[in-house]
Amino acid sequence: METMFEFLFKHRGIAFEQGDFAFGAPGSFRLWLGIAGLVAASAVATYTIARGKSTVVDRGIMASLRVGLLGLLVYCLMQPTLLISTVVPQQNFVGVLIDDSRSMDLDNEDGTQRSDFVAEAFMPGAGTLFDGLSERFVLRFFRFSDFADRIDGLGELTFDGTHTHVARALDAAREDLAGVPLAGLVMVSDGADNDDRPLTEALVPLQAAGVPVFTIGVGDEVVEPDIELGRVELPRAVLEGSTLMVDVVVTQHGFGQRSVPIVVSDETQILAEETVELGPDGEPVVARIGFELEQGGSRRIEFQIPTQAGERVAENNNRTAWVDVRGEREKILYYEGEPRFEVKFMRRAVEDDQNLQLVVLQRTAESKFLRLSVSDSTELAFGFPTTREELYRYRALVLGSVEASSFTHDQLQMIADFVSVRGGGLLFVGGHSAFAEGGWIGTPVEEVLPVILNEPQTTGPQGHFAEVRVLPTPAGLAHPAVQLDAELDAVTARWDSLPPLTVVNPITKVRPGATTLLEGTNTDGITVDRQIALAFQRYGRGTSIALTPQDTWLWQMHADVPLEDQSHESFWQQMLRWLVDGVPDAVSVATDQERVEPGEAVRLVATISDSTYLEVNDAGVIARVTSPSGMVEELPVEWTVEEDGEYVVEFRPSEMGDYEIELEATREGSILGTDQSILHVARSDDEYYSSARRTSLLQRVADETGGRFYAPENVSTLPEDISISGAGVTLTEEHDLWDMPVIFLLMLILMGSEWGFRRIRGLV
Amino acid sequence: MGPRMVEGELPGRYPFYWTRAVYSGYGRGFYGGRGGGSWATDYPKGDRQFLVVLKRLVRLNAYDWENAVSLADPMIRRFPVIYAVEVGRMEMTDEEVAGLRSYLDAGGFLIVDDFWGTREWQVFEWNMARVFPERSIVDLRLDHPIFSAYYDIEEVLQVPNINNGANGYQTHERDGYTPYVKGILDDEGRLMVVINWNTDLGDAWEWAESPYYPLEYSTFAYEMGANMIVYGMSH
Repeated sequence: METMFEFLFKHRGIAFEQGDFAFGAPGSFRLWLGIAGLVAASAVATYTIARGKSTVVDRGIMASLRVGLLGLLVYCLMQPTLLISTVVPQQNFVGVLIDDSRSMDLDNEDGTQRSDFVAEAFMPGAGTLFDGLSERFVLRFFRFSDFADRIDGLGELTFDGTHTHVARALDAAREDLAGVPLAGLVMVSDGADNDDRPLTEALVPLQAAGVPVFTIGVGDEVVEPDIELGRVELPRAVLEGSTLMVDVVVTQHGFGQRSVPIVVSDETQILAEETVELGPDGEPVVARIGFELEQGGSRRIEFQIPTQAGERVAENNNRTAWVDVRGEREKILYYEGEPRFEVKFMRRAVEDDQNLQLVVLQRTAESKFLRLSVSDSTELAFGFPTTREELYRYRALVLGSVEASSFTHDQLQMIADFVSVRGGGLLFVGGHSAFAEGGWIGTPVEEVLPVILNEPQTTGPQGHFAEVRVLPTPAGLAHPAVQLDAELDAVTARWDSLPPLTVVNPITKVRPGATTLLEGTNTDGITVDRQIALAFQRYGRGTSIALTPQDTWLWQMHADVPLEDQSHESFWQQMLRWLVDGVPDAVSVATDQERVEPGEAVRLVATISDSTYLEVNDAGVIARVTSPSGMVEELPVEWTVEEDGEYVVEFRPSEMGDYEIELEATREGSILGTDQSILHVARSDDEYYSSARRTSLLQRVADETGGRFYAPENVSTLPEDISISGAGVTLTEEHDLWDMPVIFLLMLILMGSEWGFRRIRGLV
Repeated sequence: MGPRMVEGELPGRYPFYWTRAVYSGYGRGFYGGRGGGSWATDYPKGDRQFLVVLKRLVRLNAYDWENAVSLADPMIRRFPVIYAVEVGRMEMTDEEVAGLRSYLDAGGFLIVDDFWGTREWQVFEWNMARVFPERSIVDLRLDHPIFSAYYDIEEVLQVPNINNGANGYQTHERDGYTPYVKGILDDEGRLMVVINWNTDLGDAWEWAESPYYPLEYSTFAYEMGANMIVYGMSH
């Protein structure tokens, strides 16, 4: 097609795109327009006067054909010219950026490798492009993957980089060649960019500098047959014995909708195995896998789909994640306004959980409290905490049947701040003095709750009372807190088997943004005024949860529940673990990336607050970083200024393995707090995921910079295309267009058409 | 007093129902349509009287009326604290034995009161051995949390029945000279059954308003009652 275009128009399309159009004949354009008008008028007049046997339509058609022919002649007389800016040979530079990442070593469908093109095209003296480019330009070669740098020859390419950072590569080449006349950049890549930096940031400076980027896409646009295990998200830290529910995204090309197993394992054992039915080509399916982490420490969790016969990329069947399994004992305050059996059975349910300390403060009379599981005799000695320092020692707060009026306004505000500022978990449990029935409407705590409170309805002297069967919603089925069985298929059956509970707080609506996990239906199985049984929402830094039934202890005591049934225990252990999950400490440290490569920069980000969780900007913060070989480095961590309480330091690990980070924050000689974190230093497998050629990205780079995208099979015109791109040091060449074959062809067609028309109409 | 439950009504409106354990046996107790038996001693006056005073002492949202449920009735599992009196005259059926065992294994709490002397002890012990052949009955020392769950109790008094107490006679009955608080523990060491032997807390609760009954005994009985209920609802 392009060859035909070039034959008819003497030049390729890109020449017309890049060039300017002009007429070389003397005289103004108006003059020539007048001449064309006169010629056309005379032709029309001739046909009007000499009518013969012709009709008006016949004369109109013939006059139009003749006017068209004469118009072409006038156009030729005007000497049309194409002005093209052409680079001056050997006066301009071209930067050639070659993708040096691992994905370039992947096989193409024809058995070659993506990197083969680089050798074929750019081998000095033998490469198809090298000669064409080096005749016109001074070439500078760059390689790019995790980083970008100049290379002297192709021998320096390793195709072992673990990332493809297109934006950084363009920046590096532009900056390196900033002082020389630059005709353009050539980028050879599969476009499988895995940089988190916006591409636009690199393209705008190139547009401003007028540097076109010519991209060459290598590799297949669809890699098949192949199965890819997508990104897996795990929390960085969990309590020992926690059950995790992990969504795994699996995509296949070319294998059809078959079933494959997903195996989850750690260093020593298989944790779970789930079968997933693959979706149609290119359509991801989500598999939910639940497993328990029992042993403490930094655990390496691997998700794996066995390599299928004939699979093109085996490396993308695995995903690895690390979880810090903590053996800490998390302290939860359960405040109950009156003796209730929920206290007894909740305590029993979690007493074997070594990671939970459920401190109970039960009001047994006015200003008289029963304290259980307290750490010492002074804890809660005067009842519910009256200062933030005292309340914020707990990571979660459970409020039972206790009326709002028993708290001071400051205590109510403290409870709200406990969630929003301290980031704690709040669980509100149903009862006669809970929710609206407890006078919580209009308090600072009301808006923290995930449910909407309506004024209590007068339904008789005893108030509302209903028996409801509690069942998970679709969101509940996917939430780890309400998974009563390790086997996902058995969860619904377990919930079905539990006896109904009772509610005295009619609650039917949740706040926008809140999620309902359990719903109450009447015992006939028909929903009547849907009772929200369990709902939650994020509020500020924390989470608030509403559990509206008043007697979950029936799941333990009811005669229909077998003695060996552990549903009640599982429910409360999971609920309370969820309540403390992710609750921040006053001093915390984390790395901005979970895993980095040796030599890659990583930021330690610390948040420093005092005991009331007010951010502190004048703390002395030191990070002790211990390398896998035991080398200890002390790094001062500085306040960022942009964010209150945020401290940052950057460092580059050099060894493979786990780095231990211990952070200590001090202020005026006293310790504000300490925290630990772990950084994993390992090679990345990112290059094997989404590894098909991303033509759209390469096309975008070319389009937005005035360059052009090429596939390997049509790259031969690249040197000439750069020559006429207009960038760099150029000369303007004039090319006549009057002798384009297309003009003569058009003339012949017009003349032939008129002659043929006359023959058909008998006007010859 | 609040409204009474109607026949067939689902319990649960109140967090707490003071519940008598109905068991088979022989004896003097009698209560209307439910028949008689030692389980019904002082029923229902004692129960109502106890609740009136208890609710003034403890912030307890309790059902105001008596509630009696058979040990063999699955409904008993809805009442995690139950009260049994005159257990020296107990002779449980096999269904009641099975019901009590599963009740206690599930987490229920049994308060036993008002039985005296060696012979009645042997009867009760024999019945409990049928429930828990593998568990023994142990003494509860004063440092057990049940003695400090609400009031701090430093001495276990012998509480006489109304006749002995009001007339100033001896406090003991038969050969039950020394009062004991004993218990049966589960595998985790948690108290499942609290046994008040050689004492009659129930009469002290029932007759606390009598000017002839010594305040010392009714005070102790209410202290012990409050402690047992608060403990049974929290431990």
